[in-house]
Amino acid sequence: MKFGIFYELSVPRPFSRANERLTYHNALEQCRVADELGFDHVWAVEHHFLEEYSHCPAPEVFLTAVAAQTQRIRVGHGAVVCVPEMNNPIRVAERAAALDIISNGRLELGTARSSTWTELGGFCADPDDTKKTWDEFCRVIPQMWTDDDFGWEGARFEMPARNVIPKPFQEPHPPMWVTVTTPGTELDAAERGLGCLGVSAAPFAEQERRTTEYYRRVANCDPVGSFVNDQVHTLNFLYCHEDYRQAAALGLPMVGAFSMSNAHLYFTREAYPTRAYQTLGNAGAALRSRGTPNGSAPVDDPSVAKGLPEGVGIGDPDHLVRTIRKWEDVGVTGINFLLNAMEMIPQEQVLDSLRLFATEVIPQFQTPDERAARVQAPTSVPDVSATGAPAPSTMPAGASR
Amino acid sequence: MISGTASVDELAAGAPEIAAFGTESVRLGGVTGLSLVAELRRPAREAVLPPGLHPIVPPAMSLLAWDVSESPWGAFSAAFVRVVCRSGARARTFCVGAAASTHDAVAGLRSQFGFPAHQAEISLRRHYDEVDLRVSAEDDDGRSHVGGEGGSAGRNGRGNGLMLALSALDPDPLSVGDLQHVGSMNLAHTPLGLRLVQVETHHEPSRVERLAARIDAFDAGAWGQPLLDPYWAVSCSVSLEDVEIPAIRFVCDPALPAAEGTERVQ
Repeated sequence: MKFGIFYELSVPRPFSRANERLTYHNALEQCRVADELGFDHVWAVEHHFLEEYSHCPAPEVFLTAVAAQTQRIRVGHGAVVCVPEMNNPIRVAERAAALDIISNGRLELGTARSSTWTELGGFCADPDDTKKTWDEFCRVIPQMWTDDDFGWEGARFEMPARNVIPKPFQEPHPPMWVTVTTPGTELDAAERGLGCLGVSAAPFAEQERRTTEYYRRVANCDPVGSFVNDQVHTLNFLYCHEDYRQAAALGLPMVGAFSMSNAHLYFTREAYPTRAYQTLGNAGAALRSRGTPNGSAPVDDPSVAKGLPEGVGIGDPDHLVRTIRKWEDVGVTGINFLLNAMEMIPQEQVLDSLRLFATEVIPQFQTPDERAARVQAPTSVPDVSATGAPAPSTMPAGASR
Repeated sequence: MISGTASVDELAAGAPEIAAFGTESVRLGGVTGLSLVAELRRPAREAVLPPGLHPIVPPAMSLLAWDVSESPWGAFSAAFVRVVCRSGARARTFCVGAAASTHDAVAGLRSQFGFPAHQAEISLRRHYDEVDLRVSAEDDDGRSHVGGEGGSAGRNGRGNGLMLALSALDPDPLSVGDLQHVGSMNLAHTPLGLRLVQVETHHEPSRVERLAARIDAFDAGAWGQPLLDPYWAVSCSVSLEDVEIPAIRFVCDPALPAAEGTERVQ
């Protein structure tokens, strides 16, 4: 089981430049601590215009700072929105390769297509096309990374042959993922040999169904890259405290506020009828899990808050160990945690939660070798800050391939 | 999370009255429905909603029009101007103005479901590759009171009774499941007091098409909310369908968040 931290960079109202700066710098401090504590990944999303929910339109900048301030933790650029109005695939390949070099081979690249009208409409992107452009991006980016003379004539992207440089430090290239919001996207991931980066809450049974089908299909996939990344990670919240009640008192309001801010996004399906978006996205998934066939929680009752996801990572260490075991049992290989929302939890308590989780929970899911590796400084990453020494020739510890 | 800032007292001034909550649904048969979403300018975001509802980003308007062949109120046409919002975590719209073509439909929409409907001339015409919608006030002074005070803003329609004109071109077939319908929150005086009445329509479409729409005239004041300026058309769809309007199940205090102010009617 891998453990990561995940950033939307949600900012409290009233918006101010100081609040945005505080959110970014608190996150960077959390990344440094998580690196020291042995967390495996830090992910940062790409979102545009999503006030309050996510002020993270340039994750590559945030992650470059993370890479420069950490030594071990892998940096998840996830996910790049694979819509040409937002990102040119050449630029995605170039930026990602540069980040892989800066991080000494610690990059993971997530891909996505955006689920809100707020974002797609803001860039005048056609929702009908996003699945198609995502598919094409996924196919060309790994070729740009590995081919010295790459050209492409596709349905929605073309370029004459060029050598897209630099090449990533990892060989043959960084692991690739796709964010899974809409049910069924896990099948798209499997068929292309991409890791499944869950970003919406699904109950255990639903996750097991999706995971089982993912593993069945990925075993016979035709990978878009040079290798298959067959990991399944899910998104969760984390607030860990010795006292379960204190954990719930501080953690659950954070979950509720973040979920409510998600429900207030303007999802594409609501604004623009299209066969390309069959669900509302995150909100739709959570509402379905809350509405029940027997009507005990009517889906049309406006007083019913968005349901608390099953298996949420709020509680004392024993509770979290039991919860994570259930995720492990349904085939999940990694969990990425949101640590805060709108800075509701004071920074010191976020850091205490991280430390307690790393001390009491993570070791329960590690082999003796992993535990030993966690307490050793990574030997493959030199200190280049003073010497300007060249990049190391071996992969850093914690690489997930 | 942001909430509406409109004065409930001011919104209540023109609100319909529901003397008693009905228990029967109303079924509309042979409906040609038009649905248009347009983005609004930012000043309209919080200012047009009561505190119990939450705006979305960017602010948006949902226009709904029906040409109905069969109903308990006879054949009629109707149009609804609604602001896209959230009630609690739920996707909803707040109906700021409505029009219907017959007295019976106006009475039914107001007294059973709290739509702020007034009588108007409505033409929803479907051609081979184009759909036109026009809504005009029926009185001669060009100051319709559909949804509230007379018009003081808008474009093109002011002063001639034209409240709304739009045309939509180039229909593109979609699957019937591709169209998302969002319920209305209608402010009404009810037996429980002034409440947002939640009206969720059920749609059984047999044909759905998406078109490219152009709004030629929109008199915001005539629809009861001068701040509305639908400047950016997002999408337009036309459907052939049957529509059921179920009896009201939930109402909400317009001054309170849904989690605190919701009451179950039946």
